[in-house]
Amino acid sequence: MTWVAVALSMATTPLRAQGTSADPNLGNLKLTSGFDVTNAYLFRGIPQDDTGVIMWPYADLGITLHHGDGALGNVGVNVGMWNSLHTGLAGLDGLGKLWYESDFYTTLALGFGKGTSLGVTYTAYNSPNSGFVPVKEVSFKLAMDDSGPLGRYASKPYVIVARELEGQADAGTKEGTYLELGAAPSIGLGRVGVAVPLRLGLSLADYYEGANGDERFGFFSVAGVVTVPFSSRPTRFGSWNVHGGVEFVTLGDRNEAILGDRSKVIVSGGIGLSY
Amino acid sequence: MVSRCGIRSSVVVILAGCMAALVGTPAFAQDKDPNPGAMTLTASFDFLNQYQFRGIRQNSTGIAMWPAVDLGIATYSGKGGLKSLGVNLGTWNSLHTGDTGSDGPSGKLWYESDFYASLGFGFGGGTSFTTTYTSYTSPNGSYSTVKEIMFKLAVDDSGHFGKGAVKPYVIVARELDATQDGLTNGQADGGLNAGTYLEFGGAPGFSGKKASVSIPVKIGMSLSNYYELLGVDNKFGFFSVAGLVTVPLGGTTNFGAWNVHGGIEYQRLGTTTQAFNGGEANQAIYSFGLGFTY
Repeated sequence: MTWVAVALSMATTPLRAQGTSADPNLGNLKLTSGFDVTNAYLFRGIPQDDTGVIMWPYADLGITLHHGDGALGNVGVNVGMWNSLHTGLAGLDGLGKLWYESDFYTTLALGFGKGTSLGVTYTAYNSPNSGFVPVKEVSFKLAMDDSGPLGRYASKPYVIVARELEGQADAGTKEGTYLELGAAPSIGLGRVGVAVPLRLGLSLADYYEGANGDERFGFFSVAGVVTVPFSSRPTRFGSWNVHGGVEFVTLGDRNEAILGDRSKVIVSGGIGLSY
Repeated sequence: MVSRCGIRSSVVVILAGCMAALVGTPAFAQDKDPNPGAMTLTASFDFLNQYQFRGIRQNSTGIAMWPAVDLGIATYSGKGGLKSLGVNLGTWNSLHTGDTGSDGPSGKLWYESDFYASLGFGFGGGTSFTTTYTSYTSPNGSYSTVKEIMFKLAVDDSGHFGKGAVKPYVIVARELDATQDGLTNGQADGGLNAGTYLEFGGAPGFSGKKASVSIPVKIGMSLSNYYELLGVDNKFGFFSVAGLVTVPLGGTTNFGAWNVHGGIEYQRLGTTTQAFNGGEANQAIYSFGLGFTY
């Protein structure tokens, strides 16, 4: 999910800057959507499935409520849906139904000066094929877009703290609290965007419960994501792109025990739309 | 409680269609459109006392909530014989608090989630022909997935008749892939054979400066095996007439065009649908909600 967001943001950022005059959508609503295919799905390092083909259709509606020059630069709300369809053991082959996961989320995002932003997100993780018990979560993301002072050397660091309200990602005994530290440095090579997102997932409390109790270290991942826009400017049909990437994930003991391996290479590709 | 399936009942089809049409009329297009591109987003959230899918009852207690989102893509527009070509993708959902939702055996609210894709051709004289594939799924496991292909021929006769237009249409829908795991299921009626559905309808209405009123009328029938009951396919499914009022919330803004809408629908049920409705041949449906187009 995370590097999907990276791919989309890469696809949209330069295009917006280049082609505002040709943008058919001048209002406060923005639609972002995509369809990705991958070989494995690890949710914050917790193995979900690595058999068959896994497909991720998703859509997000962003609403800009306020845009100004004061201390509070932007206020926005996002509402979206993210899904995971599996042909393998977590889907058709194992549970008889393709639709493994359906997430609904809503975010309130506040943008401050110097590229700093704070987002509060409520997410309901559901499993239409009953592959897991529903999880409800609230998360807080503090991010900094440092491309202003650092230009192409910007690392765009962020920190996420998420608290489970009901249900558990690790199917443990207690609701957990998750911490993620990450960054997403990127460069533009002509029309092609390349990002190298880094993520470290940790348990602050009961997030990675295993045979030996709660384990602090959940996973570390590094990825390379390439995004190629279909056109240099937005069209009447929005801005489309194809993107693909490779992610290397190394796991903590608890997640390794489930996967049966210490690390995993995840390959994925897809098509994205921003309108 | 009765069978299975669902999809947007009469009300939803009417609401979705009428809302989009009514909101898009010149009376409400007072301000500059912030989105003159080829993509149109339509969404709504409705509350109902009862969900009847083509006359087939889906809940006996509680309320139903219908969040829906549709993305319309105007792929072609011209002046020849083919006036327009459009694609629609969308999801329609039904959340139930009663016996088929959070108060039922599953304990889960999300009764129905439909995904659909449509290809629509617009011709001269207001005639249109649309083909829609729909997958009706039940996240809380209340029924087995139904897959359907539907054809709709419609005429917008408001060019000829103005306020007297009735906008008639005919729908033929066929259930697909009704044999799953060696069993016959995946049917709206929970019957023995995949069915074929026929619907005739019209939606006369008029628009004022502050509100629009629509009076959709429809009749649903089985062409084959759509309303099965104890091995007998009953031809007549239901007749419905409704009154819907839509009130725009201001004009078109940078946040799109919003409206509130509400209505009352009366359904007269046939033998099969009456049996599914606990023996009651008449059903009243009340609804209201919020909609927007961007």
